[in-house]
Amino acid sequence: MTDNSGHISAKEFLERLESYRKGSISRRHFLGVTGLGLATSVLAGAMPGLASRARAQGNIGDRVVIATWPNYHDPADFEAFKAATGCAVDMNVFGSNEEMLAKLQAGGTGWDVVVATNYTITTYVGEGIIEEIDLSRLPNYDKSATDPRFAGPGIVDGKTYAIPRNVGTTGFCINTADFDGTTPTSWKEFWDLTKGDLSGRSIVHDYQLTAIGNALKYFGYSFNSVDPKELDDAEKLLIEAKPHLFAITSDYQPSMRSGDATMSMCWAGDATQLHRDMPEIAYILGKEGGEIWSDFFTIPASAPHKDAAYALIDFLLEPNMAAKEALYHGYATGDSRVDALLPAEMRESEILYPAADLLNALEFGAAVTMTNPQRAEILARFKSA
Amino acid sequence: MRPSLRTTLFLAPATAWLLCMLVLPLVVVVVFSFGERGGAGGYVPAFTFENYANLGARWAAFRNTLTLAPFGTLLCLLIAYPLAYYLAQKASPRWRTLLLILVIVPFWTSILIRSYAWIQILGGNGLPRLIGEFGFGRPRFINTPFAVMVGIVYGYLPLMVFPIYVALEKLDRRLLEASSDLGSPPWRTFLQVTLPLSLAGVATGSMLVFILLMGEFLIPQLLGGGKVFFIGNALVDLFLQSRNWPFGAALAATLVLVMLVTVTLYLRSLRRLSGGRDDVALM
Amino acid sequence: MRLYALAVYLFLYIPIGVIALFSFNAGRHAAQFSGFSLQWYGKTLANPFVVGAFKTSFTVAISSALLATLFGTLAAVALQGVRGRLRLLYDALVYVALMVPGIVIGIATLIALVTVFDTLNPFLATLTGPDNPFQLGLGKGSLIAAHGLFTMALVIIIVRARLQGMDRSLLEASADLGAPPMRSFLQITLPQIAPAVMAGFLLAFTFSFDDFIIAFFVAGSETTLPIYVFSSIRRGVTPEINVIGTLVMAASLISLITAQVIMRRRSH
Repeated sequence: MTDNSGHISAKEFLERLESYRKGSISRRHFLGVTGLGLATSVLAGAMPGLASRARAQGNIGDRVVIATWPNYHDPADFEAFKAATGCAVDMNVFGSNEEMLAKLQAGGTGWDVVVATNYTITTYVGEGIIEEIDLSRLPNYDKSATDPRFAGPGIVDGKTYAIPRNVGTTGFCINTADFDGTTPTSWKEFWDLTKGDLSGRSIVHDYQLTAIGNALKYFGYSFNSVDPKELDDAEKLLIEAKPHLFAITSDYQPSMRSGDATMSMCWAGDATQLHRDMPEIAYILGKEGGEIWSDFFTIPASAPHKDAAYALIDFLLEPNMAAKEALYHGYATGDSRVDALLPAEMRESEILYPAADLLNALEFGAAVTMTNPQRAEILARFKSA
Repeated sequence: MRPSLRTTLFLAPATAWLLCMLVLPLVVVVVFSFGERGGAGGYVPAFTFENYANLGARWAAFRNTLTLAPFGTLLCLLIAYPLAYYLAQKASPRWRTLLLILVIVPFWTSILIRSYAWIQILGGNGLPRLIGEFGFGRPRFINTPFAVMVGIVYGYLPLMVFPIYVALEKLDRRLLEASSDLGSPPWRTFLQVTLPLSLAGVATGSMLVFILLMGEFLIPQLLGGGKVFFIGNALVDLFLQSRNWPFGAALAATLVLVMLVTVTLYLRSLRRLSGGRDDVALM
Repeated sequence: MRLYALAVYLFLYIPIGVIALFSFNAGRHAAQFSGFSLQWYGKTLANPFVVGAFKTSFTVAISSALLATLFGTLAAVALQGVRGRLRLLYDALVYVALMVPGIVIGIATLIALVTVFDTLNPFLATLTGPDNPFQLGLGKGSLIAAHGLFTMALVIIIVRARLQGMDRSLLEASADLGAPPMRSFLQITLPQIAPAVMAGFLLAFTFSFDDFIIAFFVAGSETTLPIYVFSSIRRGVTPEINVIGTLVMAASLISLITAQVIMRRRSH
């Protein structure tokens, strides 16, 4: 029953073929995303002589474990990795960076690749959890093709600890069918609607960075503020809004899809996935600002299968593969080679590439928010109130 | 009396297990509860009572648990009792075993999956839509304390039915007949004979449900949308979000203490009720 | 009364019916039923993550249930010969093991093991060489140990209850006839407590197989089936969860019926 051969469903394949015929995607891109190119290389790998040579070059073992986010990888790509290298990928998904850090701190051995967001990198480095990346083992990583703004947080004290994977923003999504004409454009409206007309129909994330950050934006404070007075204001807003919320969760897709919720804090990729299936769902970046982020591949110092970790990262960085993954999860990559392979509808998507004035207001999450005790306590009080 | 060699050998693995996996971890929790949170989270050795002094910051979680757990237990009891009564006294003996098995079967399936069923039923496309089609508007059930209650009753009802059934089944029918022969109306027989004699079962069932509810995490998490918070949720949060191990340890230690005290008191009164017998039916 | 019972049974079984019904959904989304199909069964069984999680859960549940049943039964038998303070202490330990909520066991085990590992690992690394040092970590081992704690206490209680209700005259007769204690145990005690041991094993297996909260803390990088289901529920997009649920329910139903049949045959 496995559909290894296709890597994407037949229906999707036909759709892609159609857009290829219509010229909306390039041939190279078509081969890339449909996995035909990949299938070819997999077939090549299956030839006895070639395969043994490939494996002899790098005996990477039979297992690699990746810690990552939900809806972030096409399982077929891991199957392809297994077919190409003989190494099976095990995946653990996490609810937030905070949870990931907690489990890594708590003797989190066993993970080989950890997908972490920019604001956690310095903490991971400081705690000795992740180690410096040996760039020579990642031939598919091209630093010059990557926007330095996104690659920057992966470099600590001049050493590269993390390789950028995807970039995105955190805004909010709305189901426009529930609005008559005017839609919100700011975080102020997000919170006012939550407490007012949309009482019982909006969702807030359940980790500190964005839940508190976007509440701070209501007052026009910095998204990263650790100023006790400003945080007090944010806490008051959160507690006031709580009885009006539909849920406090970072897994808002099911509720948005079912129509239970009308508005939710949302990552760009989820917005892409939702919008793809339900065009009435729109993505909004609050005009006051909010979060821009990049996710990174990192390798824990305790990784039991380091060779496999490098092999997997390199495999996923290969531009055709990265583009195929991007189509699946719906985030931009920050890698110009990959962006060039994306279909026009993605390249022109306002969800992925927002207008400059909106973009300029965004902030990268700051490492201090992660370790600030007041922010941790506020979120806990907000949830338990 | 010194235990024999055989006794020692037989007890050794279980003892080692209890020491390594129960005593040691509980000691570590107590030690950690006097420590301080590290800069990036975790634990730094110290000796401070601050974590216990701070417990008030989780008062809401305690309040929720200490109101919703007894309330959930009561609700389970109210629903379970008539069913147990029916099974023990009214159902035809031919069907009794099958009916009993039918009560346990759901309990043997994952609580995760049973709660997921309620997500589907109580979610907007389930019951609310059905109600909407009958023209009564679309009420909201999911992510409310009501949904959590439904999940709790659904999850733990079998645990309540069983002990009550066992108690009612042992009931001597002649007592009931005597009571009605003496001309007392059925409700009086129930109040004066049946109910007192089944109290041991009621107490056992209530205790089992209450214990599980005190440490509940999944049902509020799945059916409460992160808004209905039990101590269990506060604990998960402290370890996986705030990474405040010492505070989490203090909260865990307090929870265990509260439970041990409540349950011990409960067991005492249960023993008194059942006239000194200690054959508490556990399952 | 009858109607009431019927209503409660409906309450118990409608959700299970819903789970099973939607597992045959032809559509891509769990929320809407769009035709009957077995396709999700095929997809689920072909999903390597589901199969992997099932294998992990099964291995852990079998191992912890076997160990808990073995050690628990031995302890229950041995405890018959223990009186006084030691007995009281033991009873208290078993009582606490049953009483402490799973979530506290999970957390306590996590922080205790992490502390122990952090102390031992540098030592182990110097022992086993720097290139590929042997290191302790969370995983199947810690899962088996943590699950086994609760289920072993459960087995002790169940087997002890059976031992107390056992006919002692046979045992005495056997001793009078000069049979060695081991033989009496194997030929008389064991057959009598077998149903309780079996029940204990089944309970232990089910507990471990279904446990989420302890595994959530001590599984390390392992994914058990409940952990997989939990993360799928959070995403909640496909009928795959319904398929897993239906299969797990069917399996527990079969094992429950099998257990009933075995117990009934033994008791006759």
